[in-house]
Amino acid sequence: MNHRQRVLATLNHEIPDRCPLQVSFTPEFAERLRAEIQVKGQKVHNPHGGGNTYELERLLGEDMLLASVGWANSYYQQSGDYTDEWGISWKSIEYQTPFGIGHYTEPAGHPLADDRQALDYKGPDPHRPELYKDAECVIRDFKDEYFIVGVTVTTIFECAWALRGYERLLSDFILNPELAEHILEIPYQYHLTAAKKLVEMGVDMIWTGDDVGTQNRMLMSPNHWRRYLKPRMANFIAELKAINPKVKVAYHSDGFIHPIIPELIEIGLDVLNPVQPASMDPAHLKKEFGQKLCFWGSIDEQHTLPFGTPEDVRAEVLTRLKTIGENGGLIIGPTHHVQLDTPMENFWAMVDTVTQTKYADL
Amino acid sequence: MSETLDQLFEGIVNGEKEIVEQKVNEALNSGMDPAVILNKGMVPAMAEVGRRFEEGECYVPEMLVAARAMQSGMALLKPHLQKEKLASKGKVAIGTVKGDLHDIGKNLVGMMLEGAGFEIQDLGTDVPPEKFVDAARSGANIIALSALLSTTMIKMKEVVDALAQADLPHKTIVIVGGAPVTESFAKSIGADGFAPDASRAVSTVQALLG
Repeated sequence: MNHRQRVLATLNHEIPDRCPLQVSFTPEFAERLRAEIQVKGQKVHNPHGGGNTYELERLLGEDMLLASVGWANSYYQQSGDYTDEWGISWKSIEYQTPFGIGHYTEPAGHPLADDRQALDYKGPDPHRPELYKDAECVIRDFKDEYFIVGVTVTTIFECAWALRGYERLLSDFILNPELAEHILEIPYQYHLTAAKKLVEMGVDMIWTGDDVGTQNRMLMSPNHWRRYLKPRMANFIAELKAINPKVKVAYHSDGFIHPIIPELIEIGLDVLNPVQPASMDPAHLKKEFGQKLCFWGSIDEQHTLPFGTPEDVRAEVLTRLKTIGENGGLIIGPTHHVQLDTPMENFWAMVDTVTQTKYADL
Repeated sequence: MSETLDQLFEGIVNGEKEIVEQKVNEALNSGMDPAVILNKGMVPAMAEVGRRFEEGECYVPEMLVAARAMQSGMALLKPHLQKEKLASKGKVAIGTVKGDLHDIGKNLVGMMLEGAGFEIQDLGTDVPPEKFVDAARSGANIIALSALLSTTMIKMKEVVDALAQADLPHKTIVIVGGAPVTESFAKSIGADGFAPDASRAVSTVQALLG
């Protein structure tokens, strides 16, 4: 089985030879990994896939390759502080780990903080041909061998809150619904245009989504999700499947989103990502929704990978393969980009256990 | 409870800022004791918001607009409260630890503690340990630490250690919270309290103060 066949099998709820693997990294972890395995990379690693040349992914035995178009590419765009093409300003923040100093970039200034700015705002143009060059290359060079994912995450809510301000947009849901609708529509239309173009170009799956879960509950009520996000996501999925009925759609939300999973299935979702195990029990999700839904992720990035032992990591991978991965339906990987605080032996315990464990041996 | 206080309570719970301002003014104009307005109308309303949050009856947006309504009412009430010389229940210095810019969790905890009658000093985000120590020296008896990330929550221990070494003139309680933070992590770094959400941060602090 090549990488592509492996992913196609698992998404078809069939048992592949081994569980497909997908791992992304923060730029500093990618640097550390490149040094460790002596691989050269041409530039700063983009955890969402845009601009990457996939040496690391291919060496590790990953099965999906990602190319991204959209606001998520604003993360890690530059060192230091910067303003992206949406007018959102970013702050770079340094953190220390036992393995060196890392940086996060976080949205810090919001161009639509003022109501009047929101009405006059014009976002960037999603039709620029240069946005799709990376996707064109990865499809051309790797589609025979790999499963290709077009990434348009931060699809609606996340980009909208970066434009408006987090607390401001959440308050708008109650105090100013019309304005909230207006602002949500801006990234929605942008990412819909991008996703449709990526499907037309031939990607196998679109990865979409917004973080609407917190550690142990939803960020917003299911009713607010139903009002503001579900109809847009339903149309998003429908428009993609109208272009190519075989295209898969994955939805990302960190945290606990159990109440809306049946409705994500109802609007045509194929794959749920990242299945954060401290928030939702992966085995339980498989029992409840595994007939209709596939999963992507499930290896704990909050505790096991940074703070566990290699044996803890190995045990967690095997548990996932036997539960949420039982009979296929799982692309395994960490629930977030691997961060600099992860010991290398834990990282290899994850990768090696996945790539060396055959379903037949479980 | 008077009808005005009932309406004030409902106004806060429903996040209706204009109604809250109107009812606070009405209550003050009727000669009601400002401490009664606060303790019988407003504090119980934020406690009700907290209860609904814990029970899953409301979420972050509802909590935000309720806190905004509470704050606008407090702005009207505060000048009168100072005359009453009301002692606050305690002074909380709250911040997101060094290396972390996430603030909504910290803000919600601050809003809920303020709504329960605590005085809040917001130190912001990316706060180095010495700033928490300075706040404790300046009178904060509760230090509240927030972190969203596994890479930054380890900074909480540095703050706990810095406070322990600072030879403070009064007992200082440290509470911690944030997505990756657990009760056992809180214990392991020597924090006094942990709460899984903003509402339960209030009961945690109240229990620690006895």
